[in-house]
Amino acid sequence: MSASEKYLLQAKDVTVRFGGLTAVDAVSMNIAAGELVGIMGPNGAGKTTFFNAISGVTPLTSGQLKVDGRSLTGALPHQFAKRGLARTFQTPRVFSDLPVSENIRFGLMFAGRRPRKYVFWGEEKGVPWALRDTASILSVIGLSELADLPAGAITPSQQRVLEIGMALSTRPRILLLDEVAAGLTEIEVEEMARLIRRLRDELDLSVIWIEHAVKVLLKHVERVIVLNQGKMIADGKPSDVVRNKEVIEAYLGDEMVNDSEGLT
Amino acid sequence: MNTNANLWRDVLVLFGLTGWALALPSYGNEFVVSMALTCLMYVALSTSWGFFCGSSRYLSLATSAFFGLGAYTTAMNLDTMPWANAIALGSGIAAAVAVVMGLAVLHLRGTYFAVLTFGMAELIRHAISYYEKSVHGTVGRVLTTVPEMSTIYHTVLLLAVITVALSIFLRRTRFGLALLGIGGDEQRAQTLGVNTRWVKVAGFAFTAAVAGGVGAAMAVRWTYIDPHTAFNPFIGFQTVLIALIGGAMTLWGPLIAAIVFSILAETLRLQAPQIYMMTLGLLLILSVLYLPGGLASMRWQTFKDWYLDMRQWYKDTKYILSGDKARDKQRAKERRIVGL
Repeated sequence: MSASEKYLLQAKDVTVRFGGLTAVDAVSMNIAAGELVGIMGPNGAGKTTFFNAISGVTPLTSGQLKVDGRSLTGALPHQFAKRGLARTFQTPRVFSDLPVSENIRFGLMFAGRRPRKYVFWGEEKGVPWALRDTASILSVIGLSELADLPAGAITPSQQRVLEIGMALSTRPRILLLDEVAAGLTEIEVEEMARLIRRLRDELDLSVIWIEHAVKVLLKHVERVIVLNQGKMIADGKPSDVVRNKEVIEAYLGDEMVNDSEGLT
Repeated sequence: MNTNANLWRDVLVLFGLTGWALALPSYGNEFVVSMALTCLMYVALSTSWGFFCGSSRYLSLATSAFFGLGAYTTAMNLDTMPWANAIALGSGIAAAVAVVMGLAVLHLRGTYFAVLTFGMAELIRHAISYYEKSVHGTVGRVLTTVPEMSTIYHTVLLLAVITVALSIFLRRTRFGLALLGIGGDEQRAQTLGVNTRWVKVAGFAFTAAVAGGVGAAMAVRWTYIDPHTAFNPFIGFQTVLIALIGGAMTLWGPLIAAIVFSILAETLRLQAPQIYMMTLGLLLILSVLYLPGGLASMRWQTFKDWYLDMRQWYKDTKYILSGDKARDKQRAKERRIVGL
């Protein structure tokens, strides 16, 4: 297996400029299958813009993107979704008029659609058991009881979970999570982290997770990437990154080093 | 939207209505038939408008342009072409123009899209005027070979039935779901795998094809055609109004509103045209304020809610006007109760 085939997502020198502002400055990263990667950085560091760039929502100014070995530079978001890259948004963007179950069915009807056993009927081929239909996805994320409610009527924290469910409904291989734990209580954050790890373990997804709750993030991921002012300033194991001088200066402050006992 | 819920109900209702409309010319007089014809025209126009613009929330004001294109196609080709071909050609040309127009303007949203479609409609109207003046020397055209009234009626009826049937069917497919997703949150739909550009252009072309076909069939009603009547913006506006008042998101809303409107139009317009226009405006205001889902969203519960609201309002007003409120306030002040 050559080096380029090993990686599910390859971003090379990704740059996004808005007029004179360089939001993302030549960021390169390779994500292997089954990796759980965290991205952190101060406000305005370009984390979300980087997500928008690697999911096709914002066009690249320069750089290359490859998903699953195929170049998707300049492609539209639906092409990314078809190649198995799913994302959530920072503020939940569910279809609030549709019921929760319809929100899940939507992805299954488009990017998540797979050929069926007998062309028009029979079960779909090559689908993970946990993601076989709307009901199973709802039970994975734990919203089965809310299936018939309009998505606008459930609480914001449930909408965040539903966002993840909608991303899962495209039957992805890479999952981009944009601050899914923002505004949740401590217990809910912990539950969310456990859900994310479970998805990675059970469905063998590569997960990239942006989060401001640094402690939770560092506790659960195996690799952290730190962005500051559009540039990547660190990439490594959590225990190394918290000791990185540049990261401490830009983002963490001193006390994180002392708290970092027991990190991988 | 459940995939097959109410499918049979909708199909049967359409079947019944079709039979009724088919039988109408044999017992109605000429006046009733011409009223029904206008009604069917608006059923087709606003159902197709509601199918695309209602669910995707792209407010298009270009209906009159497509209608006029269809009408002009008939006017130019009816002498050399069979009736059915002329109509197919009219709807095809309108759809082709819609594809080009859609590729150019469908990335805009909201007000910009609405204004731009209206501008494009005006552009097409003036382009046709210019073409007629410079190539043929006159602006108007007299239609010499006009088919019988019953042919026109059946053609428009067929177009309306096809439109409603397609609307019933397409709402339950991936295409309908994609339009609904675009209306909900376009970017989200895109990241879930919808090729929004293609879906929008296809939906817009569907609306245009129906408008073109209807325009082609209705052109012969006038016998004399000029750009001013064929591209009358009023047709486009009335289509939008009917769809909005009936409930643009719903299947039957535009149809119900079209029936109500054509009855209103025929009864009021002859006696007092101004009152008709005022009624239109008043109905739109009332439906936006009190029935945002349109006529089709009315249920018994709506009336009950109105009744309860009225009663509450009556109680509150009585409480204020009788002086009880002021008296209660005064008492609360004396007893130093804060916040009453």
